[in-house]
Amino acid sequence: MGILIQQIVNGVTLGGMYALIALGYTLVYGILLMINFAHAEMFMVGAYIGLFTLKFLSDPAWGMARLGLGPVQEFFTGSVLGLIIMFIIVFIVTGALTGLLGVLIERVAYRPLRNAPRLAPLISAIGVSIFLQNAVLLWIDSKPIPFPDIFPIVTLPYGLNSLKIFIVVTSIVLLLGLDTLVSRTKIGKAMRATSQDRGAAQLMGININSVIAATFFIGPALGAVAGIFYGMYYGAVIFNMGFFPGIKAFTAAVLGGIGNLRGAMLGGFMLGMIEALAVGFLPAGYSGYKDVVAFLVLIIVLIFRPGGLLGESVVEKV
Amino acid sequence: MKFKTLAIVLFVAFLAIALVGCNGGDAGGGDDGTTTATGVTTYTIGVAAPITQGSVAQGMDIKRGAQLAIETMNESEEAKAAGVQFKMVEGDDMSDDKTAVTVANTLISDRNLIGVVGHYNSRCSIPASAVYSEANVVMISPGSTNPDLTLQGLSGVFRTCATDDLQGPAGALFALDMGLKKAIVIDDSDTYGEGIADFFYEAFEDNGGTVLFREKTQVAERDFTALATKITAENPDIVFFGGGFETIAPFSKQMHDAGSSAPIMGGDAMAEQDYIDIGGSSVEGDYVTNVGAPVEGLPAAQDFVAAYKARFNLDSVGNFASYAYDAAFAIMKAALIVHEETGDVTTPAGRDALIAEVEKSNFEGVTGTISFNENGDTNNKVISLYKVVDQAWEFVESMDLGAK
Repeated sequence: MGILIQQIVNGVTLGGMYALIALGYTLVYGILLMINFAHAEMFMVGAYIGLFTLKFLSDPAWGMARLGLGPVQEFFTGSVLGLIIMFIIVFIVTGALTGLLGVLIERVAYRPLRNAPRLAPLISAIGVSIFLQNAVLLWIDSKPIPFPDIFPIVTLPYGLNSLKIFIVVTSIVLLLGLDTLVSRTKIGKAMRATSQDRGAAQLMGININSVIAATFFIGPALGAVAGIFYGMYYGAVIFNMGFFPGIKAFTAAVLGGIGNLRGAMLGGFMLGMIEALAVGFLPAGYSGYKDVVAFLVLIIVLIFRPGGLLGESVVEKV
Repeated sequence: MKFKTLAIVLFVAFLAIALVGCNGGDAGGGDDGTTTATGVTTYTIGVAAPITQGSVAQGMDIKRGAQLAIETMNESEEAKAAGVQFKMVEGDDMSDDKTAVTVANTLISDRNLIGVVGHYNSRCSIPASAVYSEANVVMISPGSTNPDLTLQGLSGVFRTCATDDLQGPAGALFALDMGLKKAIVIDDSDTYGEGIADFFYEAFEDNGGTVLFREKTQVAERDFTALATKITAENPDIVFFGGGFETIAPFSKQMHDAGSSAPIMGGDAMAEQDYIDIGGSSVEGDYVTNVGAPVEGLPAAQDFVAAYKARFNLDSVGNFASYAYDAAFAIMKAALIVHEETGDVTTPAGRDALIAEVEKSNFEGVTGTISFNENGDTNNKVISLYKVVDQAWEFVESMDLGAK
């Protein structure tokens, strides 16, 4: 029983990260009907920005202390209040910078192709992905970089610890926040309208470009948060770290119904749980089959609900 | 219209540059192999390793190690006296077997290529070795420890690192000596990781240990939380993980988080300072086996370590840099002898002589005495055990499997 609970804890933590990344895929798909393959790289870049921001604020050998702000740095690392403020700053700065990068990429690589055949932006996205990976590889390092071990870890029973709780709670808060943003606010309404019919939305006076830019800000910003979580949870970041979580998150988005926000959240948590429970229940020596189980579930879901769990099956007009 | 003209101009300019570039390259290539007016012969040494993708950390170490060896040799009196210089050409195999074969074919198309230091991953070295052997080019792998590489019966294939059929069993013996009887064995499904884990498994069971179960994961996997929970529940004495440090470090961290106190053990691909930097306090007490005696103990290595740090402005020397350094030296030393005797190493006779000469290698390298057996494996069969103590690899003991 204890082990089952532990596996559920593992699954939910992993699922929270998948869900955050999956939202980026599903938001862009919902609005542009395009799969942003560069999203996994936004997650990676976010992790690096988070790493450097955190180092700047906390590492005595880096940034702040050198700029003569030693006391501030001590405040950040020395007290609970300082830590909380520091992590809030790290998340906001990282989210904002990664979001801006997302907007920039949309402006440079996708907007010129908005009316091109659908394959063109897809290829462009793959290009952006390769570009970002290689940029980080060449400018920063090819080796994994250790993530500052700063988050105070308090171990609790059932494999729970403060970091896992922090990841899950923050993920859920962000997911709920995004859900509210899309369903209750003006920009959310504009996003939904754009997603339904871009031309008609434009005729109603919605500025399509700013709606799409907002989408490309939110997705990468959430991805960046997941990137910081990933760094804290697994201890290191590397330039090609986006690949696995990217594929998994994309799967989660498809599982939940791509284009549907709540679907992406559900898909993320489901996929995380399936993976953890598969490892838990498969006989010893067969844990490597966890991905097989996860994709089997995906296939079965898609056979019965081709649009995903919460996706609407679109009827082709004849 | 203006745009079109501009485009055409740019295109023509691009074409012109490309053509000039090719010409330059050809001319350069023509000069190299044969003796130039100044009487200096330049031979090409290929370095094939993952540079941009895959095991990049180790790949860069190999590249730097070989580069330092070539630069040192070019400056040395013996090379100057012989009128020979070496040029490095780099091939990026991205840790991918298909790319490795392409890299091999590209490298051998340079007719001045006499030898290759590489590849790193066993899954790359094995297919690429066939290409080099066909072209009569010496290949010395600084890092491929899978036994199959030199068991293919290909001529001119060597390695400076000990094999996994020594390293895996040595790890098992070390563990049993410490009284660790119950093990769980994991690998990353890579040629190297799977091989070394198999050898550990076999030797551990043969010598009285019990392997509770065997798991498989993937090279790029980083989430082991579920697996760690499962393993911790079995309460093993030790966990052997066949894979690279970048995979094992997060595993060890997650094992620690899951409440396990069993040490993790791995092979040479885990023996990096980065392993400790990533794992932090979680990896204290973890073990690693490494090929060769501790580098610090060898006087020749001291100079190498100092030169390496100064040349590349680094704080530490990656494990495989020293094997690449010795591999490059083995090729160049043999090449100097053959050049002296025949005047040209690139002729078919010269190439055969080079392979024979590398086979006869016997010199003090930075990893110990460099000599090869009939298969092309190094005779240096010392395996050492290290442990993480106070955030550094501390030497525990060595075992000479050649003595048996």
